[in-house]
Amino acid sequence: MNQIDPRAPRFAAWLTSAVLAVVLLVSGSPDLAGALLAAQAVVFALGSRGRSPYGYLFRTVVRPRLALPTELEDAAPPQFAQLVGLGFAVGGAISFFAGAIVAGYVFTGFALVAALLNASVGLCLGCEVYLFYKRLTNPKGATA
Amino acid sequence: MGNSPGLSWGPTVPREVTVTGVYVLLAALAATAALGGAHRVLDGRLRTRTSQDDLRPLVPGEHGERATLLQFSSAFCAPCRATKRVLGEVADVVPGVTHLEVDAESHLDLVRRLQIHKTPTTLVLDDRGREVLRAVGQPKKAAVLAALDVAVAS
Repeated sequence: MNQIDPRAPRFAAWLTSAVLAVVLLVSGSPDLAGALLAAQAVVFALGSRGRSPYGYLFRTVVRPRLALPTELEDAAPPQFAQLVGLGFAVGGAISFFAGAIVAGYVFTGFALVAALLNASVGLCLGCEVYLFYKRLTNPKGATA
Repeated sequence: MGNSPGLSWGPTVPREVTVTGVYVLLAALAATAALGGAHRVLDGRLRTRTSQDDLRPLVPGEHGERATLLQFSSAFCAPCRATKRVLGEVADVVPGVTHLEVDAESHLDLVRRLQIHKTPTTLVLDDRGREVLRAVGQPKKAAVLAALDVAVAS
């Protein structure tokens, strides 16, 4: 199983939160908001394959200044969480481009709350969805 | 009222929409604070339980003379690792207390019997293997140390 520094997805979540906040602030120009969301969607898509540009930034700029991590975590749940983010970003981008501003706010707002929770408290909602999905598809039918 | 500056192509939108964006941002911040705060408080909180069942025969491993920290874990569970570290440190420091870790997926009978629905779940057992406290989520070290006073006294 691929193991990663748990601080990397949290750093990425801070950057994601900043981008999504800017999307909300420039929503007066929905095409600009949509374009930003589309760019964030690309980041999510790359992140779901372990190739997040935010992760790259963390490794090259931030981590050299930090102590070694006290423990590692599996990469699978955070990568799945990036897919969930991708869904919201795509939905939001399409909404803004189509002029459905309220829908754009809903997609962006939910994604922002998830990213902020991850960044600030370490609560990864997408990871919880992944665990729930794993339990459903577990052939042993685990209840935990 | 006028059109917002910005791109010259695409639909123009009145200025008010940007203010709404600020409101949505503030609402998102408020929601995060509320949910994050609730999670901080509730997650890993140790709650008192009463049980007469002696779990020692059901859980192999070295049970503590005074108390046992019984942790249920699963794969892909980052908080489980952090909990393992915290409980391990407590067991090292407090005499007569051991830490046992059980994989939930290979002990489904135990999981169902004890109604474990999430990992990590930590059971604090007294010297007779009875559950006296339970924490769902990652417990804080200070709370575990305080909880052991209860478990040892009972």
